[in-house]
Amino acid sequence: MQELSLRLVWLVVVLAGWTVPISAQELPLRIAMSGSFAPFSTTDGEGRLTGFDADIARALASRMGREPVLIQVDWNGIQAGLQSGKYDLICGSMAITQARLEQMNFSLPYYVSGAQMFASSGVAPKRLGVTESSTYARFISEHPEMFRDVKVTPFGSEAEILTALSADKVDGFVSDRIVGGYYLSRSGVSNIASYGELLYVESCGIAARRGETELIQQVNGALLDMVQTGEYETIYQRWVGESADLKLLFEQWGAYASELPKANESESLVVSESVPNGSSLGPILSGAALTVQLSVLTAGVSLFTGLLLGLATVSGRSVVRNLAAVYVGLIRGTPLLVQLFLSYFVVATAINRWLGYEAMGAFASALLALVVNTTAYNGETLRGGILGVCKGQWDAAFSLGMKRSRVLMRIVLPQAFRSCLPSLGNNLVVLVKDTSLVGAITLIELTYTARNIVFQTGQAFLPFMIAGAFYLVIITTLSLAVRYGEKRLATP
Amino acid sequence: MEFEVKGLRKSFGPLEVLKGVDLSVSRGEVVTLIGPSGSGKSTLLRCLNLLERPDDGDLIWRGRALPYRTIAGSELSEFRRQVGMVFQHFHLFPHLNALENVMEGPRQVLGMGREAAAERAYHLLGRVGLADKDAAYPAQLSGGQKQRVAIARALALEPSVLLLDEATSALDIEMVAGVNDLLRELAESMTMVAVTHDLAFAAQVSSSIGFMDGGKLLEIGAPEQMLTAPSSPRARDFLAAVSPHGTSSVSF
Repeated sequence: MQELSLRLVWLVVVLAGWTVPISAQELPLRIAMSGSFAPFSTTDGEGRLTGFDADIARALASRMGREPVLIQVDWNGIQAGLQSGKYDLICGSMAITQARLEQMNFSLPYYVSGAQMFASSGVAPKRLGVTESSTYARFISEHPEMFRDVKVTPFGSEAEILTALSADKVDGFVSDRIVGGYYLSRSGVSNIASYGELLYVESCGIAARRGETELIQQVNGALLDMVQTGEYETIYQRWVGESADLKLLFEQWGAYASELPKANESESLVVSESVPNGSSLGPILSGAALTVQLSVLTAGVSLFTGLLLGLATVSGRSVVRNLAAVYVGLIRGTPLLVQLFLSYFVVATAINRWLGYEAMGAFASALLALVVNTTAYNGETLRGGILGVCKGQWDAAFSLGMKRSRVLMRIVLPQAFRSCLPSLGNNLVVLVKDTSLVGAITLIELTYTARNIVFQTGQAFLPFMIAGAFYLVIITTLSLAVRYGEKRLATP
Repeated sequence: MEFEVKGLRKSFGPLEVLKGVDLSVSRGEVVTLIGPSGSGKSTLLRCLNLLERPDDGDLIWRGRALPYRTIAGSELSEFRRQVGMVFQHFHLFPHLNALENVMEGPRQVLGMGREAAAERAYHLLGRVGLADKDAAYPAQLSGGQKQRVAIARALALEPSVLLLDEATSALDIEMVAGVNDLLRELAESMTMVAVTHDLAFAAQVSSSIGFMDGGKLLEIGAPEQMLTAPSSPRARDFLAAVSPHGTSSVSF
């Protein structure tokens, strides 16, 4: 403890140069966090932000004499929101990385944790889950030698990883030491625990826009104050359930104390976003290829299945008609995201368990959910087209002696299909954009790729703009194809 | 006897449209049905090829009672093939050209090959005076031309009876004569039942004219007698209303 106090005194001296007295300001301090990173940031029963980050943020603001306003933002857009001025600070367990330092100003670390692998003790995991766009995912991709023969699957959150763990899609995962332990202790998954040493130590800082040097100095001052008065320790114990390792924290402060001011005041005050070089266009292209693959396959299959459904909805048998109506009601009444989860975590898991091997992967699961979903919309569109065909057409065909099925296939469907084409094209456009949801079941399509690049480069906007341009190209091409089809099928 | 209808009844929901109709049509005979709108003429016609299924009564086709409640599939198909129909609004298939419209029945119902069906269709288009319109789509034809194609389409199945449901009512006045000429020519060699508002046409082609009112066939007789001296007061009122200058404008 003696040593710690000495270190603290030393730090106060070192830091005095770039902390400033806290002055009362009138404006509230707006602080963003994801709310989906328990126990650091989460929401309570009434939807209010709570957790370690939230308590720290509130305490910091009040020490700075400003009213705290906590804002919940999706992690993928959290940096863009800061840079566009929607809030002043991010206090959201954001690890300080070189890429981020080039884009934002960081406070001293406000806690220190690290990357931890979790698995069955003594059994090296072969299939690892990891949260997408995380430093853990990046570490794994940058250290292939450590993860040889390991299949790494990205997920949207720790909660999904735990679901995948119980669905036997992964047999281990990498996460924050504290967060991973927190989720494990609540999951009911019993045979999994910390596996090996920390992969690396990670320090989380509070981020502000470039150039906000004074604000960061105030944050540092308030943080120092909280540590000295013991408030920090109280908050830490409340949420992490153990004593804060202040020695480690101070070590990190020492390491960052000289580096951060330099980084924060370095040249690149104006955030410049350059067009990604070849190395990031590659992933974008393969993301776009996956988007196109899913869209085209789904469009093709669901045109056929939609036709069958459309016929079922006008069937002469009431059982068939009712079944079709129930199907349409169920599918259109539930979000595609839910259907993707069901397909991936329930249907695929059941099929794979039954067959005893990985027969149905993420791609097949996504295809299933997209086809099931789009079929419902195409079926309804075609039903409208079939009902829209003049009743006299049926009369005329019947009077020739044509049977019902012939009338449908030869007379009614060709006309219905022509009149439906614009609406079917519309369904296709919606489908292309809907494929952006398959990232939720680990498929790295176009939007997901853009998010990854945002994470890797720290550029907040440009990757999304580029992905948007790709969508525009894909959708315009498909729209033109539909137009061409309309022309080909058009009769005078 | 081609057709015999006894006590035919048909309701749409609570509305009884046919209240017991009796009608006999011999082979080669041309029967026209006249009467006010809503009297059940078209429904009777549609019952004759089972586009509507009667609720009650007998439908006797060539001496055999037609099981109209249960008939389905190939039997129904074969029956309808023998009874052609021409509609007021043509109902040509808009996605097929004139030739394909006429070929559709032979191809899909008779199972004819493409070439044989096309040959028959060309022949029929020639017969209705449209030999040069084989490649035209319905939208490119005038009303009169559409109706001629529709007639050719019905004839392509070589029916023994032709049902005409106000075949010229939707046509521009200058088209009517041409279509009527064609129908008159057909009437010489076919059994026909026609619903019409065109009394002059009825007078020219009919073996007998039936007058319908309120879901009943009130009377039926030779054209001359029906158009000049109908026995029922309702028929007299109707004729007076539709030909204000008396029936003298109808020539025999």
